[in-house]
Amino acid sequence: MNAPTAQVLLRKEDQRLITGTGQFSADAQAAGMCHGHVIRSPHAHARITHLDVSAVRAAPGVRQVLTAQDVQAAGFADLPNAVQVKNAQGQAQVVCAMPVLAHDRVLFVGQPLVWVVADTALQAQDAAELADIGYETLDVVVTFADATAPGAVQLHPQAPGNTSVKFEAGDRAAVDAAFAKAHFVSDIAVESQRLVGAPMEPRAVWAWHDEAQGLTHVHTPSQGVGGMAAYLTHITRWDAASIEVHTQDVGGSFGLRSSAYSEHALVMLSARWLKRPVRWVGSRSELFVSDWHGRALRLHGHIALDKDGRILAMRFENQVDAGAYNVYFSTHIGARNLSITMGGAYQVPALHMSSHIFFTNTVPVSAYRGAGRPDIAYVIDRLIDHAAHQHGLDGLALRRKNFIPPQAFPYTTANQTVYDSGHFEAVMDHALRISDAPGFAQRRAEALQRGCLLGRGLAYYLEASGPGGAAKDQVRANFDAHGVLSLHALTGASGQGHETSFAQIVENEIGLPASAVRYFAGEPEQDLVGNSTGGSRTLYGMGSAIKNLCQQLMHQAKPAIAKLWGCAETDIGHVGGEFQEQSGNQRRLRYADWIASLGDLAAQVHAVGEASSGATFPNGCHIAEVEIQCATGVAAVAHYWAVDDVGQVISPAQVLGQVQGGVVQGLGQAFGEHAIYDRETGQLLTGSYMDYPMPRAGGWLRHFHHETHAVPTSLNLLGAKGVGESGCSGSLPALANAVTDALRQVDAPPMDMPFTPARLWAALQAAPQKP
Amino acid sequence: MKLNLTLNGTARSADVPERTLLADLLRDTFGMTGTHVGCDTSQCGCCTVHVDGMAVKSCTMLAVQADGCSVTTIEGLGADGLHPVQVAFSQCHGLQCGFCTPGMVMASVDLLRRNPQPTPAEIAEGLAGNLCRCTGYVNIIRAVQQASEILQKEAS
Repeated sequence: MNAPTAQVLLRKEDQRLITGTGQFSADAQAAGMCHGHVIRSPHAHARITHLDVSAVRAAPGVRQVLTAQDVQAAGFADLPNAVQVKNAQGQAQVVCAMPVLAHDRVLFVGQPLVWVVADTALQAQDAAELADIGYETLDVVVTFADATAPGAVQLHPQAPGNTSVKFEAGDRAAVDAAFAKAHFVSDIAVESQRLVGAPMEPRAVWAWHDEAQGLTHVHTPSQGVGGMAAYLTHITRWDAASIEVHTQDVGGSFGLRSSAYSEHALVMLSARWLKRPVRWVGSRSELFVSDWHGRALRLHGHIALDKDGRILAMRFENQVDAGAYNVYFSTHIGARNLSITMGGAYQVPALHMSSHIFFTNTVPVSAYRGAGRPDIAYVIDRLIDHAAHQHGLDGLALRRKNFIPPQAFPYTTANQTVYDSGHFEAVMDHALRISDAPGFAQRRAEALQRGCLLGRGLAYYLEASGPGGAAKDQVRANFDAHGVLSLHALTGASGQGHETSFAQIVENEIGLPASAVRYFAGEPEQDLVGNSTGGSRTLYGMGSAIKNLCQQLMHQAKPAIAKLWGCAETDIGHVGGEFQEQSGNQRRLRYADWIASLGDLAAQVHAVGEASSGATFPNGCHIAEVEIQCATGVAAVAHYWAVDDVGQVISPAQVLGQVQGGVVQGLGQAFGEHAIYDRETGQLLTGSYMDYPMPRAGGWLRHFHHETHAVPTSLNLLGAKGVGESGCSGSLPALANAVTDALRQVDAPPMDMPFTPARLWAALQAAPQKP
Repeated sequence: MKLNLTLNGTARSADVPERTLLADLLRDTFGMTGTHVGCDTSQCGCCTVHVDGMAVKSCTMLAVQADGCSVTTIEGLGADGLHPVQVAFSQCHGLQCGFCTPGMVMASVDLLRRNPQPTPAEIAEGLAGNLCRCTGYVNIIRAVQQASEILQKEAS
């Protein structure tokens, strides 16, 4: 990259990505590389009656065929479940782990059953068609009602009632007492429907085994090589030191890259056994039935108010579909993420939640952008909106009355979460100010002239960003002889632009130009501790470690500067990357100039920065105006305003990009996306981009305006709160409240997402009034 | 089956199975891995290239159908520096993970060739065959508008 070009580009990542020279995992080629293919179950629930793969083994080019027996012989474990909880009686959750390859039964369409490796991908696919597999199909359950009905088919013998756990959080008795004395009560049941995450880069992995070093190298998209390596160590039961994970460019994550799948382990096993590089690249069709799905939640919220409209209590009863097995984060979503901020931005004296985590014959569910946080934010602000409407209260006044006021921070919620900061009413007023509330009546009248119902919806969300699994984040830094600073760490990007924003932090702290800073996250760093990217925490988690690193670099240099100036170290201060002699000659020296003056000796400067950064509480107010065409049911977002408190902002353009992307993913869920299973057969009816409506250019969004309203946090060195998932948390309730407002004009019955044209049209037809 | 084509200005030949898709020929045989494959139903547009100057999803064509054609991939677009569309995508933050970007850029270049001054609605319609999961498209549409303005200035 030459310097003049780099300067016109917004991000350091862009040069390679706009020229097609990025390195995604499916791009690699290696001498002698073989190709894997997975034979998947075509049935949602079946016993395997016979399995004959002899013809597959004999097919041209085939080098290896593995079944569950081979995986067992290799000593592999089942796929991990990240969190296990207890029920209210103290009994441990029933965890049903997913095998790498199915043994005698298959529990969902797409479940891996046989692994075929051949010289080419086409040979592996052709050979797979020769497998002779007999299935005895069994009854299927894909809904909560069917799964928990008396006499329902049981997916796991150890989980009666297809129940993994009935988890509870909060104080049931206090909530019951509050409801008993309430003046107003309301409740609303909403669904946050099952989604397909669908990052644009299909899941891919290739591995090769270095015999001499006894080391298996795994190349795959991840959200951090450390987390991926830990899961692969768990599954393979190999020595952790014999596995190295490498991640280069990642084509979107949204939570889906945070876990290791069957194919990772199978590629590794074949690479060792065949002594060749082995690759697997998923086709989009198989990813629809094998990438973990998202959301799949039904939330029933209840609110109790006193006669003045003060909230006395909230209660949530949740149905959490884990899919066929407990994998990775479904319990974390159902237990922790739904409960931790269940009072939202409001003062709620009593809170209680129950989550019934259950099994169905569907793809297992794990993290998808927000992982439960957008869902609880969704039900909270639909509940507020619904209660206000039902009891004739002003929704804005209801929120104002119940917001946690600035002077109440740090605020401990009724379920013991401590929020550090927030100016909720000021943020809402900010959003009201920029969203032309007085002009709405006029816009609504104009829309009606065009045969459209215009609805306006407001939502206030608050979410907890990820605390991180590792105790701290570390970054190792060293200069080269040209004064270029290299940063090495574990947490990897998948579009968030870390290379750019971390370099910006260095420039802000020590004045080294961002162009002289490089961030490397995709290589194994055995001696470093750190978190994966997730829960919107990386900018402030790793960013704080980098700020600490910069402070160390400044301090480290002081003895040398003191020697240079012939003064005492204690006489040297520093501000904004500049050393300043406090007395005497009052000399000044920029850190960047000092490093440049060292020449080759700069290579001797190195340090490890670190920081411990826990959860933060991003929040904001989103306002949407949604227009529904009465003749067709087609909805569009005529206006969208978002004001977010994401704390201190490092890169405004990238923060805006994160919010736009998050809001449009919310739009996708609100207006179209839905992974639909056939109730009788358990077949996924929306199994490709042809029948799963991804948001497209233009599409539903006509206008978008975003502003930040920073209330810095003291919970990390940067004062930042995280922004990656807030777009989903704000948009779901704002959009749904807007649609609800539009439908109220004709007294149409309330609806759930997705607000597709067919469903909206049907609701308008059923409405007692005509527009 | 043997085929000859011009790839990014250079004459190339290959002998591939008849069922080979153009996308796979470009990636696997010629190593042009900037052409990405994001789906198997011709919906995502990540694999968009130019065949005789027109944008084509290279997963919808057999390799042999490109016999005798001139094919341009993202690698060949800015032969003498970056194309204004590439620069605009970066400057307007029209990419995050960058996986859809090569296809988006190739589709946008062809869109601006056919319609040098598109309205936002025309850009949206023109890019409806290209999926992006990161950006929400707002900045992609801005990028194409900016590129349009720059190309107009260059032309005048």
